[in-house]
Amino acid sequence: MGIIIEWERRDGILVATLTGRIDGSNASEFQKTLEAGIDPGDYALILDFEQVSFISSAGLRVVLILAKKFNEPGKDFRICTLSDPARGVITMSGFDRIISVHESQTAAVDAVEKIRATRS
Amino acid sequence: MSAKRSLHIEAKCNPDEVRRAAEIAEDFAQGEDWPLKVVFQVKLALEEVMMNVVSYAHEDGDNHQIDLDLVSDAEALTIEISDDGQPFDPLTDAPSPDLQASLEDRHVGGLGVHLVRTMMDEVHYRRERGRNLLTLVKLRDG
Repeated sequence: MGIIIEWERRDGILVATLTGRIDGSNASEFQKTLEAGIDPGDYALILDFEQVSFISSAGLRVVLILAKKFNEPGKDFRICTLSDPARGVITMSGFDRIISVHESQTAAVDAVEKIRATRS
Repeated sequence: MSAKRSLHIEAKCNPDEVRRAAEIAEDFAQGEDWPLKVVFQVKLALEEVMMNVVSYAHEDGDNHQIDLDLVSDAEALTIEISDDGQPFDPLTDAPSPDLQASLEDRHVGGLGVHLVRTMMDEVHYRRERGRNLLTLVKLRDG
């Protein structure tokens, strides 16, 4: 469908590494695949955009839906390693003000674990 | 690169055709020596405008088509997007996203037109002979 999702799960932190493009032709399938990949036990979701060559507002819509889903006590949503196309679109949309952006996957996971440590 | 070149693209009203047309436009802009950033902006703007047409203009989308006319010269890249759908002026009919809203209050949608307006130097709309005509302009020194 133009976008490949690779999953990695560790102690309730789910990292989805995205490769390809997300546009009007595959955004709804992208959304379904992502939502189906999330387990009830996953308290954190990190989307890695390093290999995203193109993302339109249809893709941003899915990102916002997921961010809202994880916007509750004890849950955490972050995005990381933005490719140039993804960075441009996310900045123009003001998403960098409402979603935490990290320079690397490691930094995103560290931030999630740090917050969990202060909660427990 | 100062020579004036133009390209006409026709696309059926569906998402796969939108992608195909946007990619042809992308190749054209690249071939006319536009910076990579502009090439990306043009592709994205076309994707957004055409997806709006696909989503809102018709109830029987596949029987309609979208026409693109691109002109590139020393000063500008001008793209006219034309469709015979219901009247739709994205500049006034599309809701503006509230960029200051919190995650909780942020609405899903309205972003496409915002992206187009942000990326392009000029956006004009007119309704003519039963068609929507949207013109996007990107200036060389914009």
